[in-house]
Amino acid sequence: MTVFRTYLKVLKSCIVTVIMYTIILMVFGAFNMQTSDTSTNFVSSKPDVLIINSDDNNKITNNLISYIENNSNIIDIEKTQEKIDDALFYRDVNYIIYIPKNYSKHFLEGKNPKIEIKSTGDYQASLAEMMLTRYIKVANVYKDVVDTEEDLINKINDTLSKETEVEVTSKLDTAGLSKASFYYNFASYSMLAGCVYVICLILSSFKSEKIKKRTVISSMNYRKYNRDLFLSNSLFAIVLCVFYVLLSFILLGDIMFSLNGIMYILNLFIFTICALSIAFLIGNLVNNKNAINGIVNVIALGSSFLCGAFVPAQFLPDTVLKIAHILPTYYYINNNDIILKLETLSIENIKPIVINMLIMLMFTIVFVVITNIISKKKSKIG
Amino acid sequence: MKNVIEVKNLTKEYKKLKAVDNLSFEVHEGEILGLLGPNGSGKTTTINCILSLLNFGSGSIEIFGKKMKPTAYDIKRDIGVVFQDVAVFEELTVYDNIDYFCGLYIKDKNTRKKYIDEAIYLVGLNEFKKFYPKQLSGGLLRRLNIACGVSHKPKIIFLDEPTVAVDPQSRNNILDGIKKLRDLGATIVYTTHYMEEVEILCDRVIILDKGKIIASGTNDELKELTKIEEKVSVEVIDLDDKYVRKIKEFDNVDEVTYKNHVLVISYKKGKNNLGELIEYLKKESIKYNNIFVERPTLNDVFLELTGKELRD
Repeated sequence: MTVFRTYLKVLKSCIVTVIMYTIILMVFGAFNMQTSDTSTNFVSSKPDVLIINSDDNNKITNNLISYIENNSNIIDIEKTQEKIDDALFYRDVNYIIYIPKNYSKHFLEGKNPKIEIKSTGDYQASLAEMMLTRYIKVANVYKDVVDTEEDLINKINDTLSKETEVEVTSKLDTAGLSKASFYYNFASYSMLAGCVYVICLILSSFKSEKIKKRTVISSMNYRKYNRDLFLSNSLFAIVLCVFYVLLSFILLGDIMFSLNGIMYILNLFIFTICALSIAFLIGNLVNNKNAINGIVNVIALGSSFLCGAFVPAQFLPDTVLKIAHILPTYYYINNNDIILKLETLSIENIKPIVINMLIMLMFTIVFVVITNIISKKKSKIG
Repeated sequence: MKNVIEVKNLTKEYKKLKAVDNLSFEVHEGEILGLLGPNGSGKTTTINCILSLLNFGSGSIEIFGKKMKPTAYDIKRDIGVVFQDVAVFEELTVYDNIDYFCGLYIKDKNTRKKYIDEAIYLVGLNEFKKFYPKQLSGGLLRRLNIACGVSHKPKIIFLDEPTVAVDPQSRNNILDGIKKLRDLGATIVYTTHYMEEVEILCDRVIILDKGKIIASGTNDELKELTKIEEKVSVEVIDLDDKYVRKIKEFDNVDEVTYKNHVLVISYKKGKNNLGELIEYLKKESIKYNNIFVERPTLNDVFLELTGKELRD
């Protein structure tokens, strides 16, 4: 109990930093609750389109304009070059369609007249482009097989009005899971930073050469002393893990009672074990208290950035992701991404998650072995 | 007298350097044994070997009649150590620091509390119980260091240069504390290179140089090893060499030096020397200020045995 009592007293001196990391997690978690993540949701949307029509009042052109109007938000601005450029720059409009003079006439004559466009290049602009392309393609198909302009317009409208019913079969609460995934991804940073900071700081006190010497000459069995220290550190990491899990229940609610929620918790628990082993390794390598803050930044921030804890992994360059493979955080984040899409509990679905967990445990074993080698080398008496 | 520590033929080598060379000595129960020697003489290495903090090449160490080894926890229970460097937790208060180190030996909460209070009283840190180490002066830190090492009431206490870089007030406090510990029945092994402390404190002294014992015994026994019995120092503003040569011819004079306006005369025997000297100075009209008469010190013993000063 002596070691544990003193551990708690020393922990008290660095608890402010742990609270700080937790507050960062809470703030980011709460902030995420306010923002709707649509990356995995289906939401219909309309692009903002500006049409500059230089053609005569022709049926084909009017029908094209009418089709675009029905499927987008038509923006009406002063049609000067400066105003048009500003609207595009400030994204008041996603797509600008310039219909040239005599467009309908040339089209019916089979001259393939060109429609100039300007676009912001985003997905809304792509949507507008798809609409325009679709219209022209359909018009081209029917142009040579109908007799009158009215027939052509009827055929075009008939074809374009056909819609396919899309039913989303997934029952996943994708919005809720996105938030959970974000929270648990960010928790990897808080967990790793908290563990490395606290455990390194405490080990640097307990294992400083002078204190160690006093402990070695005492009547306490040094193995028992090391065991008590290990258990105290493990208890701290588990308490931190449980706290972050409870916090996720408060912030995320019902989603945490689902299969996905349980998998997130299990994944964090495995990562906690790994974070503990990393903290022990660094704690045995570094005795300088002043260096610990810098090391926490390099280890926790570095691996979180590289592995996609802050920025989703799909947005990271391939080279970065290749480097991230050598870090356990990568497998933790990868698991969170899989859990996000996990619908049913089957061997096939669980397999990649289990493999990632085993890789994290392998990392843990490697770190423990290295720590033991270093520790034995250091404790060797001259 | 019962021996509590027996060191026989202890040798410790670092590559080709013999830090401890075939050392043999005993520590008697209830005494303060001083290990005196200049820096690098092997004092700390000897203590580290006794405490099993270092492996040694050959020899044997027995404490309380049992072989000392790293896992001899029953022996360690009755040993307290105060190292040269202050070894405390920066994050803990004075009380909590002593509580931790005492807790490594004493499991019972009430006994521990009693021992901690006694240790705090012993080193005079009552007013600083709730202070953190960084709030303490160098002297107070040393006292805390001692309290951490002796709070569990050990039977043998090793003190490794506990007064290095300590102000005179704290030094006196520490030395008084050590005497109290001896009076309470502890056996003390005290290493230092301050001969004054050894003379005040120690019942018996072992003088070490280059890992070897060059002399041992009580203060008086050691001083008998030197051929001088008395040393007279006179502050003289100006003194011609011819007077120095003349003084050298006096009875019982062993050596005369004149450096930095101080004339030092070492006498083989200590009778009527001062009177004869003053009479001569008056006769030759040599002006002088202060005169000091000293008995030979352990430094003189060391100087005579090794040809160098203890503090070299």
